[in-house]
Amino acid sequence: MKKLLLKLTVYILAIVVSLELIIRVCHLYTEDPVRYIDSLGVEKRIPNQSGYAVTGNRNQNLSEFRINNSGFNSFREFNPSYKKKEIALVGDSFIEGFHQDYDKSTGKKIETNLNNDFEVYEYGYAGYDLANELHLINAYSKKFDLIDYIIVYLNYPTDLHRSKYIPDRYRISLLSSPLFKIRDQIKLLSYCSSIGILEPFKELAIDKENEVVENTENDKSEFLENFKKLLHAYPIDKQKTFFLIDSRITNTSFLNFCDSNGYKYIDYGKSFMLEKKSTTLIYDQHWNDLGRTIIADVITKKIQSIKSR
Amino acid sequence: MLFNSIEFLFFLPIVFILYWLISKRKLTYQNFFILIASYIFYGWWDWRFLFLIFISTLIDYIIGLQIYKNPNNNSFRKKMLLISIFFNIGTLCFFKYCNFFIESFIDFGNTVGLHFENSFALKIILPVGISFYTFQTMSYSIDIYKKRITPTSDFIAFASYVSFFPQLVAGPIERASNLLPQILSKRHFNYNQIVDGLKLILWGFFKKIVIADSLAPIVDDIFTNFSTLPSSTLALGTLFFSFQIYSDFSGYSDIAIGTAKLFGIELMSNFKFPYFSKNIGEFWRKWHISLSTWFRDYIYIPLGGSRVGTYKSILNIFIIFIVSGFWHGANWTYVIWGGIHALIFIPSFILGNNRKYIDNSQGNFTKKNNPFIFLKVISTFSLVTLSWIFFRSNSITSAIQYIKRMFSDFNYQSYSHPNGYRMIDYFIILALFIVYEFIIKDNERKPIPFKSKTIRFIVYVGLVLSILLFYNNNADRSFIYFQF
Repeated sequence: MKKLLLKLTVYILAIVVSLELIIRVCHLYTEDPVRYIDSLGVEKRIPNQSGYAVTGNRNQNLSEFRINNSGFNSFREFNPSYKKKEIALVGDSFIEGFHQDYDKSTGKKIETNLNNDFEVYEYGYAGYDLANELHLINAYSKKFDLIDYIIVYLNYPTDLHRSKYIPDRYRISLLSSPLFKIRDQIKLLSYCSSIGILEPFKELAIDKENEVVENTENDKSEFLENFKKLLHAYPIDKQKTFFLIDSRITNTSFLNFCDSNGYKYIDYGKSFMLEKKSTTLIYDQHWNDLGRTIIADVITKKIQSIKSR
Repeated sequence: MLFNSIEFLFFLPIVFILYWLISKRKLTYQNFFILIASYIFYGWWDWRFLFLIFISTLIDYIIGLQIYKNPNNNSFRKKMLLISIFFNIGTLCFFKYCNFFIESFIDFGNTVGLHFENSFALKIILPVGISFYTFQTMSYSIDIYKKRITPTSDFIAFASYVSFFPQLVAGPIERASNLLPQILSKRHFNYNQIVDGLKLILWGFFKKIVIADSLAPIVDDIFTNFSTLPSSTLALGTLFFSFQIYSDFSGYSDIAIGTAKLFGIELMSNFKFPYFSKNIGEFWRKWHISLSTWFRDYIYIPLGGSRVGTYKSILNIFIIFIVSGFWHGANWTYVIWGGIHALIFIPSFILGNNRKYIDNSQGNFTKKNNPFIFLKVISTFSLVTLSWIFFRSNSITSAIQYIKRMFSDFNYQSYSHPNGYRMIDYFIILALFIVYEFIIKDNERKPIPFKSKTIRFIVYVGLVLSILLFYNNNADRSFIYFQF
């Protein structure tokens, strides 16, 4: 028994080390730049990080990210001024765009479409909802006052589950806990976590009784109420702020409310519907290059139509 | 409890260590521990059905002793045997076939103009492994009746034999003549046996996770949407199902045999690389061996086997294949599948070729006869693969439409994975799997037979890495044969 246990331990260790090496060399693991909450209570990434995000077990999608001085994944720094024209894209992982090379982002496409007359600032962060987004605009109001157009990505209804912004300090402290730091250092663990092989272990640790059961009734009115409350807490400049929405999944009463209260929105749903090819990645639901091109075109048209008035 | 579940990951090492630490002194402790572990293993799924196993065990234990104690009272012995058969077959029929018979009766009534309401169907849960352990207990009583074995008076040992957890839910269907003597002798810690067991477990997991589970979504997609897919895709679906079911079931068997080795028990082999068979007779000697030999010994031979004249022998072949098909499930598709195998087997039987490659696992792939044997292997594999369409389809109509579509209007279109994954990955891993199986085909119980430590280590790393590369978190991880 002793011999068996000893040999098993040696073999398992040797296999683990070999796998760690293979996973590092083939870059099968994904990197998640470190997050933090700044002095204004905004959740973002620690500035000046770079690396690669990977999707799928077999490195099916590899893309480079670059966190700028402001703590967001972007090909440029955010330095708005009255002398230049700027567009801010504010949103979640769809805007953050870890599933694409940072220099092939939606923002870059918009700049190209507009002949580089505008600088596009992508304030994207995985996990943002409308509360995060409006708080960010409010917290950095000095910067946003200088920006000509603000486009807020609103994924209905997932971005409207709360009516008040509270920074998620629990998640940040969890991600910076020793356990998660070890996970990020050992690439085999990081890889196993990303492919879901550790899910059964996590499920064992989670107390199912305490899981939040989402309310399915009165959702529609609740989402609208949350929207109203957030806009009341964080008033927006209706002239230069647009919500980027998908009319295929957004409730009509919500759109009617926006129309009747002067909240502007850009709908990309119709353009996606007309497209025969897939607009999302194969491995997850994020926009692929075609999807990002369509989004950029829709935003460009809107900006051009405003400019031509 | 599934072999590929988190519970089993904790269960197996705990049981293994406790077994060798606590129970190494006495045989009774070993068997009692095996029994408790087996009942926990089974009860994890549904504890209510432990009662059924216990009753089945108790009845055949008593019957076995009664048959043995009355060697000269043939009428009593026969009655006892009939009780065992009626109980085991009756239990199986109730849980597995009751609704099938009711529905078939209603369908027949509707066909001849008598309209019945389908309100008789019962809500019956099929106890996992019932087809396996009822056959095991039944064979025990039959073997005592036939005076092939003597019964044991040790109830704990007998109960351990019936419920031995590695093979309880999906076989191999063990014979008392093989397993019971091992249960009745004290097991000693054997390092080499345990290492062999661990290797088999690793190989079994590879087959299950990398081949079976990763092909499953493709097969499901093709068989669900076959009416809109081109013939080339249907051919691909059939080919992939062939490898899915083989890897799923033989993977399970490898894990079962490997797990048993950890406890000092040698189970019988269930698969011997059947897809390298050169005719259908050889295929059936290498596919689900524990079931096919069971039918051979307890149905085919008692019916007269091949010693009763050609016509009667052909009838016997039909019976055994139809029963084998029906054993798999309460659906006519399985019966047709069995019938097809009978039809493929009979010409080989008439020509006397069915026993040609007996005990020849290597297959003599010499330079001289290589192309010819290769063609035989391919043609046998093709026939077996085509028959799987009935096995996999939901109804006979679907199966016929599938085949019709596959063979009419042949056209090729590239197929995209339902989840968008690269298809080339699956072709590569399947090709590597076939080549590796060919390399190791001399001994199904030694899947990593290399003498060089370096090569062995590379294989270990390769297998674990493949498991990670093809692991699908959203896959339905249950084994196909659990439903039988």
